[in-house]
Amino acid sequence: MIKQELYQGIKEAFPIVLGYLPLGFAFGVMARDAGLSAFQSISMSALCLTGAGQFIAIGMSKSGGSLLAIILTNILVNLRYALFAASTVPHLQGRLSPAAATALSYGLTDEVYAVSMNRYRSHEATTAYLAGLVFTAHLAWIGSTFFGALLGHFIGNTEQLGMNFALPAMYISLLVILVQRKSELYVALAAALIAILVGHFIPGAMSTNFNIVAATLIGATMGVLFRE
Amino acid sequence: MSDLQIWLMIFGVAVVSMAPRILPVALFSRREMPPLLKRWLSFVAPAVLGALTAVSILAPAGRLDLSAGNLYLWAFFPTVAVGVKSKSIFLTLFAGIISMALIYHLAG
Repeated sequence: MIKQELYQGIKEAFPIVLGYLPLGFAFGVMARDAGLSAFQSISMSALCLTGAGQFIAIGMSKSGGSLLAIILTNILVNLRYALFAASTVPHLQGRLSPAAATALSYGLTDEVYAVSMNRYRSHEATTAYLAGLVFTAHLAWIGSTFFGALLGHFIGNTEQLGMNFALPAMYISLLVILVQRKSELYVALAAALIAILVGHFIPGAMSTNFNIVAATLIGATMGVLFRE
Repeated sequence: MSDLQIWLMIFGVAVVSMAPRILPVALFSRREMPPLLKRWLSFVAPAVLGALTAVSILAPAGRLDLSAGNLYLWAFFPTVAVGVKSKSIFLTLFAGIISMALIYHLAG
């Protein structure tokens, strides 16, 4: 049973792995380019596990941004994780021990969140499933950074392989699967529109993901109102 | 940046990226959430995915791009079609990557 759940988690991480490979690779290349050693690049992926946050940190440090500015921007970028984490709690409660739920939440990325929420629609949460999902995704992120940091200069662009569309394609697939009720469809459409408008009209919103946070807050609130 | 500054950056980013994921779970794991909050949170996933999808397709390089030269826009349609039809993450991902590779070469 535990083995099965673990295997299920690893299996469901496969699309995430596919999406992380080109991204982690690109991060490894860029981190080296910004002056990090290979060990530092890999450490950053191991410890931070935040795609957008890491790219922003590297970009800002390369253009002379201060440590404080980098940290503050990262607080903004990572704010959405608090929403994700809170919304997984009702599924984890009573199924995982508080310690296991808390510990495994370290690995909550956009992709891990979406895949696991999709799983919880039809199955109970288990520690083994979540561990399999989180560790596999994290390993892919670290491993691809490793390859990017060490071999980046030998391999050409991955764009011609279509790999740059892996993450958008995953968002699309999860969206199509997760959205089942009419209210959810309206929430997703509204959030899409808000994210684009806020990102386009508020300077810096797109690069800090502030538009994603704004769209989530407003979209979820609309969902509650819709159902009343 | 000096070596020390790089390490400070890594640890600083690690703290502010881990805290928002871990704290809510640690805080709420032992107590019941108010029902209204639970309901609000149930809409977080569709909202986030709607927002992420829109931004990744319409602003793939960080700025709004509604031109015909935005290849992501072209790859979007076959990918959605396969997604709706198959309801499979793997097939949709596969269709998306293949579409993008084809479009990249057709446009290039």
